[in-house]
Amino acid sequence: MGFPFKPHPRESTVLSKHFGEAEARTLDGWKVRGGYRALEQALGMDPVAIQNIVKESGLRGRGGAGFPTGLKWSFMKLGDGKPHYLCCNADESEPGTFKDREIMRWTPHALIEGCAIAAHAIGAETAYIYIRGEFTEPLEVMERAVAEARNAGVIGPNAMGSGKRVDVWVHKGAGAYICGEETALMNSLEGKRGNPRIKPPFPAAAGLFGMPTTINNVETLAAVPHILVNGGAWYKNMARADNPKSTGTKLWSVCGNVSRPGNYEVQMGFPFREFLYDLCGGPPRGRTFKAVIPGGSSVPIITIAEAEAAFMDYEGMVAVGTMLGSAGCIVMDDAQSIPRQVARLARFYAHESCAQCTQCREGTAWTTKILERIVAGDGTAEDLDTLLDLADNMTGKTICVLSDSCAAPVVSGLQKFPDEFKALITRKTVHTVPAIVA
Amino acid sequence: MSHGPSAAGGAAISTTPHGHQSEPYVPVFTGETKARLDALMERYPTRMATLLPALWMVQEARGWVSPEAMAEVAGLLGLTAAYVKGVVTFYTMYHQHPVGTHFIQVCTTTPCHVCGAEDVVKAFLQHTGCGELGVTSADGKYTVIEVECLGACGFATPVMVNSDFIESVTPEKVPDVLKRYG
Amino acid sequence: MADTPLVNLTIEGRPVSVPAGTSILEAAKTVGVLIPHYCYHPGLPVAGVCRMCLVDVEKAPKLAPACATAVAEGQVVHVHDEKAREARKGVLEMLLINHPLDCPICDQAGECELQDYTYQEGRADSRYREPKRFNPVEDFGGDVMYVPNRCILCTRCVRFMEDVAHDAVLNVSERGDRALIGKFEGKDLTHAWAGNVVDLCPVGALLSKDFLNKARSWELDRTASVCTGCSQGCNIIVETRDNTVVRLRPRSNAAVNEFFMCDHGRLNYRWMNRGDRLESPSILGAAGQQVVDWDVALAGAARVLKGKRILVLASSNLSNEAMFVLSRIAKASGGAGASRMVTGVEAPLPGVEDLALRADRTANGRGAELLGFTRSDAPLSGLAQGDAVIVADHDITPDDAALLAKASAVVLVSTVMPAGLPRADVVLPICNYLEEEGTLTNLRGHVQRFLQARAAPGMARPSWFVLADLANALGERMDVLTAGQVFALLASSHPDFAGLSHEALGLRGRPVAGATAGATS
Repeated sequence: MGFPFKPHPRESTVLSKHFGEAEARTLDGWKVRGGYRALEQALGMDPVAIQNIVKESGLRGRGGAGFPTGLKWSFMKLGDGKPHYLCCNADESEPGTFKDREIMRWTPHALIEGCAIAAHAIGAETAYIYIRGEFTEPLEVMERAVAEARNAGVIGPNAMGSGKRVDVWVHKGAGAYICGEETALMNSLEGKRGNPRIKPPFPAAAGLFGMPTTINNVETLAAVPHILVNGGAWYKNMARADNPKSTGTKLWSVCGNVSRPGNYEVQMGFPFREFLYDLCGGPPRGRTFKAVIPGGSSVPIITIAEAEAAFMDYEGMVAVGTMLGSAGCIVMDDAQSIPRQVARLARFYAHESCAQCTQCREGTAWTTKILERIVAGDGTAEDLDTLLDLADNMTGKTICVLSDSCAAPVVSGLQKFPDEFKALITRKTVHTVPAIVA
Repeated sequence: MSHGPSAAGGAAISTTPHGHQSEPYVPVFTGETKARLDALMERYPTRMATLLPALWMVQEARGWVSPEAMAEVAGLLGLTAAYVKGVVTFYTMYHQHPVGTHFIQVCTTTPCHVCGAEDVVKAFLQHTGCGELGVTSADGKYTVIEVECLGACGFATPVMVNSDFIESVTPEKVPDVLKRYG
Repeated sequence: MADTPLVNLTIEGRPVSVPAGTSILEAAKTVGVLIPHYCYHPGLPVAGVCRMCLVDVEKAPKLAPACATAVAEGQVVHVHDEKAREARKGVLEMLLINHPLDCPICDQAGECELQDYTYQEGRADSRYREPKRFNPVEDFGGDVMYVPNRCILCTRCVRFMEDVAHDAVLNVSERGDRALIGKFEGKDLTHAWAGNVVDLCPVGALLSKDFLNKARSWELDRTASVCTGCSQGCNIIVETRDNTVVRLRPRSNAAVNEFFMCDHGRLNYRWMNRGDRLESPSILGAAGQQVVDWDVALAGAARVLKGKRILVLASSNLSNEAMFVLSRIAKASGGAGASRMVTGVEAPLPGVEDLALRADRTANGRGAELLGFTRSDAPLSGLAQGDAVIVADHDITPDDAALLAKASAVVLVSTVMPAGLPRADVVLPICNYLEEEGTLTNLRGHVQRFLQARAAPGMARPSWFVLADLANALGERMDVLTAGQVFALLASSHPDFAGLSHEALGLRGRPVAGATAGATS
């Protein structure tokens, strides 16, 4: 059973090992658990050597895109005379995802340590941890930990006596999903509307405050100290035998209609079927699983049959037509109406669209209105064609992928569960919940 | 679609700078608050970067971000009031209108939706006497809004009351939750 | 730019060679391919948000925004293939779902890019069946009115105010489909250059209150001209309906005003439509002003002027051509010319180098100076008993009037009867600058042509024509039939203007010799 309960024996707890231990939140408690050894080691190393270890580990971005972390760091031109910045993306807002929250709540120093190591590895003296405003408790915990680490000289003008400056600051968001998009986050941090920026220029060339910037997810950075201490090979070996492209452990947030929702840390390539039934305890009593959105709400919906055949890593999810994304796994049972849930998702994206690109600003709202009309029993067959055409217009045509994310569940929902949509249209009735069978 | 005061209306229903209170505006950034803001400026290469923190300080002090406060912040950071308003209206957590003493945000995004968050919303509306989303109860105590994903999906339904984060709220638990915020 | 290497690519099958760093959109323009767009404007920072300029670049995984994508060697760009057209069709449909489709009552109709592109390649119908978003019309202050329902959120106005005017009074408020252009209550679009947001708006969302409901755009005649509001010489388009000026708009000229003009110049056109114009030549007789034929009037003017020292009191809004002939007349008589400076507060447009509403509020002060006119607050102070005076479209103060009493003769060459003019022995009515051709020299010495925008009232004739006739009547030899010929004479007799001609000036103008080049070069 994943956090908030004791770990399931089949979990591989690296990041989540100390979840729930209040003492791990303190600097001393963290040091007792081996904390800041990696930072001490890193501060004595050449940045490129750190990059190489991370490259060797195969660590990929845990925020959703899965870009190789070491490679990303190597894009930063060291010694170019410009200030470099590290941004930690703690704007965890992807529906279904709540893993970074636990990392920050329980192991704040793991994140600070990861930030400090990464900052050193990219030639940055300043790291900003951008935490969404709704995370009041993680914000408080992180602020306290940063102050503690700073007062102890672990970070600051002379981090761990290394003579190197590593400042880590916490920055509070104010309610905008889109700020989880890396360039939107930078704009927000700069005091602007959280509008994603056109790329190029990429952040490594011109990011925060126009300077070379690397942005990494909380979970990515929290994994770095472990990699430094245990070596790249150790991390790399945690993988499916036939897929070396996804390595290490992954925190999966599981929510929705499942017996034991929570955060589970498993090695890359874990069989999804066993995960859902053994670790998560299967569907609620008397229900059966119907569908899964495995990687946060922005990835395509898959049927339970597809999910059961999948392996839980980047490639394994692509193989069944979806993505690992942020590993926020939303499970739906047979009582759920897919059109109704897709409509609710679309409404989320319509609410969160930054309003810059036409297809997103108008398309997400239009899609929502059509879906809500269908759900209300007032849809037509043409609406379904329109939805697909709109989705096409909303995919691959905008500055960021918010509109693509709105389109993905619509398209996959229509493809995988066409009968549910058609039933609403032909019968002009609303969804009814089937009786419990068991 | 109702997402509370911040999403409602639009610029057309803009408030006049002096429409809300007859007494003269008292600046937020004096003394200790001003010192806090000045200290924050050390962390960033631009003054503008302290805009979101400054707006948070305003909301802590006043409960909402009034047009006068926007103008004050603009003046401090070398921005225009219109710019600040553009930023304030982007972020849903800044209140552009006064809200109840207890501001209740119920997550209703998909993961919570599948777990019955709609009923939690109904329960709050009923037990607070607000009746409607975004409306402050007659006694001024409560405002209830739906909020998009609070990032605690495994603990459906998470609810924020002011800055308290309460997990696993069900309709049955609503009266108990409210007892804490009488 | 000279060192920038050239990049070769193909756009719509045409070979293109442009400096590295050029956007696909600008590169396409050089070979006559217009890539539809809304948010892009060459005078503003790139936003890349309307997504209208998406083009199909071979080998690229996705359509690319032409405004924000730099050219690359060997690129093959398709603007009108099915993929790009379908994407634009999608954008157009979405831009219209919340649009009120009120073209019949919209001022922008006929000059609306949303209308144009929709006709060109949009859907014939809409699939939108839901209620439309509504926001009421707002007065943005200044000359600007906002109709949010027509707004496509291209943000050109916001970027202009922020990045060019450096006065960020407009914002994007709210987000998602609730977003709209907003401002802060009590802070209006009062910036001296704010009116440009109306021109920049590609649709009918930002409208000029001054122009509101005056005309349909297709009823307008448009003429290239130069603003006379100050000495900057912003290039403009004069728009007339049935011989009446209804709107002035900027015409782009990188050397002078980029794409902009100030509100002072923009709204300073009512004088052009004055009804109290001088329409016929006349001579002062026993029974007052007698209307006479041109020949009689010119002969009368020559008679009263001949043999006297002639002082010219000339408006420095008059063209170089008129000023030149006036200077010849004055010089031949041993006299001189002068004009009174009209000044106001200078108002720069900070985002464009050397562009401002100038303190000097006359259009041709520099030209007048180059042609020997002096500028003085008391331009008639040198008037001696027995001198004759030509008042050329100049106003008359009480001091002027008192001095004029000393003059042996006063000849008025003017568009209107100046208030306070005590007497005019001969009145010669002339065209105002909209009714003739000519040139003006801006404060940096940039000589620019203006064209005739409408017919003259009554018997009024072009200023240079009347003055050339007068000069000939006074014994000069000026064989001119066109303003161009007057300018040729000017150019051959004034080294500053050497080498210039109406043809050489074209519609962008050229600097006089030794002039500081101009606004942006």
